[in-house]
Amino acid sequence: MDFKLTEEQELIRKNMREFADKYVEPIAVEIDENSRHPAEVFKKLAEGDWMGIPIPTEYGGAGSDYLTHILAIEELSRSCASTGFTVSIHVGIACMLVLLNGTEEQKQQYLLPMAKGEKLGAFVLTEPGAGTDVMAATTTAVLDGDSYVLNGTKTFTSNGPTGDVYMVFAWTDKAAGRKGMSCFIIPKGTAGMTAGTHFRKMGLRSSQTSEMVFKDCRVPKANLLGKEGAGLVMAMAGFDHGRVGIAAQCIGIIQAALDESIRYSKERVQFGNPISKNQAISWMIADMATELSAARFLTYHAAWLKDQKQNFSKEAAMAKLFASEAAMRHTIKAVQIHGGYGYCKGAKVERLMRDAKITEIYEGTSEAQRMVISGNVLR
Amino acid sequence: MPNIVACFKWVIDEAYIRKSASGALDFSAVDYKISDYDRNAIEEAARLKGLHGGSVTVLTAGAPETAKGVKDALSRGADQAFFANDASFNQLESSQTAAILGEIIRSRIPYDLIICGEGSSDQYAQQVGPRLAENLGIPCISYVQKLTIGEDGRIMVERRVEEGVEVVEAPLPVLVTVSPEINTPRIPGVKDTLMASKKPVVTIKKEEMQAVGAARLQTIGMTATRMERNCEIFAATPEGIARFVEALQKKGVIS
Repeated sequence: MDFKLTEEQELIRKNMREFADKYVEPIAVEIDENSRHPAEVFKKLAEGDWMGIPIPTEYGGAGSDYLTHILAIEELSRSCASTGFTVSIHVGIACMLVLLNGTEEQKQQYLLPMAKGEKLGAFVLTEPGAGTDVMAATTTAVLDGDSYVLNGTKTFTSNGPTGDVYMVFAWTDKAAGRKGMSCFIIPKGTAGMTAGTHFRKMGLRSSQTSEMVFKDCRVPKANLLGKEGAGLVMAMAGFDHGRVGIAAQCIGIIQAALDESIRYSKERVQFGNPISKNQAISWMIADMATELSAARFLTYHAAWLKDQKQNFSKEAAMAKLFASEAAMRHTIKAVQIHGGYGYCKGAKVERLMRDAKITEIYEGTSEAQRMVISGNVLR
Repeated sequence: MPNIVACFKWVIDEAYIRKSASGALDFSAVDYKISDYDRNAIEEAARLKGLHGGSVTVLTAGAPETAKGVKDALSRGADQAFFANDASFNQLESSQTAAILGEIIRSRIPYDLIICGEGSSDQYAQQVGPRLAENLGIPCISYVQKLTIGEDGRIMVERRVEEGVEVVEAPLPVLVTVSPEINTPRIPGVKDTLMASKKPVVTIKKEEMQAVGAARLQTIGMTATRMERNCEIFAATPEGIARFVEALQKKGVIS
């Protein structure tokens, strides 16, 4: 067994830490408060090749591995979970979908600018009546000559208002059931596709989320990703990749909660001593550090399996399930350690706690992860 | 087109040093980094190469773990690295470091300009730069905060001095030590780090060099500084302010 990262991975992680400290941490409170997409940060992320780490260089990426991408998401999320997530869904789902399923032309036209960070990707699957129950979706794509015509309404689309390239799922043959959904690459500005306004959310506020409405949206046949009817299988594989990214985002959140809790508990004096001297507090911190390590190993292992070209579906679900629930548990504890100060705006732990909640919901709820895991182990 | 050599030291990142209750320093969980001002030295070399062409060589002496630092330095715009590598090189004293670097430069690296940080972030002795220049028999200009290379092959620099800025000109070859105002070191991108592994590194073993002389200084001990705090509250009244001024005078904060 080898738990050691390569020298390159260690340096890249350190560089991202410095990047996040310099460019992200100072604006994290403001972009949360104003629900603002920090375009200036994404420009810098693009310049440093952070927007396509595991994508081969011939398609605009850095040509590194998935674990390195995961380390970057972790470090970025330690400063701002929203920014970390936006990169995660862009790379882990949008870029990976095209890399794994696209034609050479599609890779050159859409993956290349995405992996360079010139264009932002979005994943458009969820509908008002179809969350975990993907089969309840109603958006359709009807073949008409050389193009498909899409109609329907999607919701909770991350990078909806800010995206440039959308991976949109729609029924091409509803009667075919799980083999009836297809995926289309639709660039921003395509007639008939409109993004709604950014939702006001409890947390993860600077990540832009909206409805996506398709009204007689005509897409050339060349924009069909993969085979007709293969949409769901591709979406599930996309989720496998994305979930490891969410797990990394959670590790970043827990690490930040731990850092803040250690710092505050050593400074805060009650009854004549720093509260870190109280067993009630020090044990909370011990549990936080322990579950952080557990989450980190599950996540790195899932990414490592992916890099070894092994099946990592179950491990991705386990990492995401454990890391997200640990993030929620321990950000609540971090606020508890901070007392009243932790309940006020401006305290980092307050933002971390709000940001943590969504990780148990998106890219498959905790319940959906348990379905994946139990399906794997009860086979 | 100048051949530029940037020297750096791979040092303990002070952010990871912990202090025990007794004041002893705990190095058990430390990470390492390129010494802060040496990052400015490498950045300046890369910047000058961008303007004038030529080459950038990074040079260090250190223990085998410094190999990671060599990659780090190569990811910051250098073309190649020379690395004097020996397990005993993690405790070099300034005169020894200068002798090793001098020997390697003299025997192996063509140079017009050598750039060092003004001092290292661990001991900040500010000795290596001047001693290296002496060793090579070239001029040394220290505390440089602005540097330009003229078309006539001379460099013009601004030095930060106690009460102002001194402007100095010198013919190449020359050694400069730079202060942090000179530039803002880059944060290497992912590709920069990956490419660094593909750049040439010449590793030189202790046996390939002249014997390193004895250290001229010995570090006897190292402890954390102790900061005493006491809190006294003064009222915002004329009497309170007078007492406040008096208290500051008593402590020697103001005279």
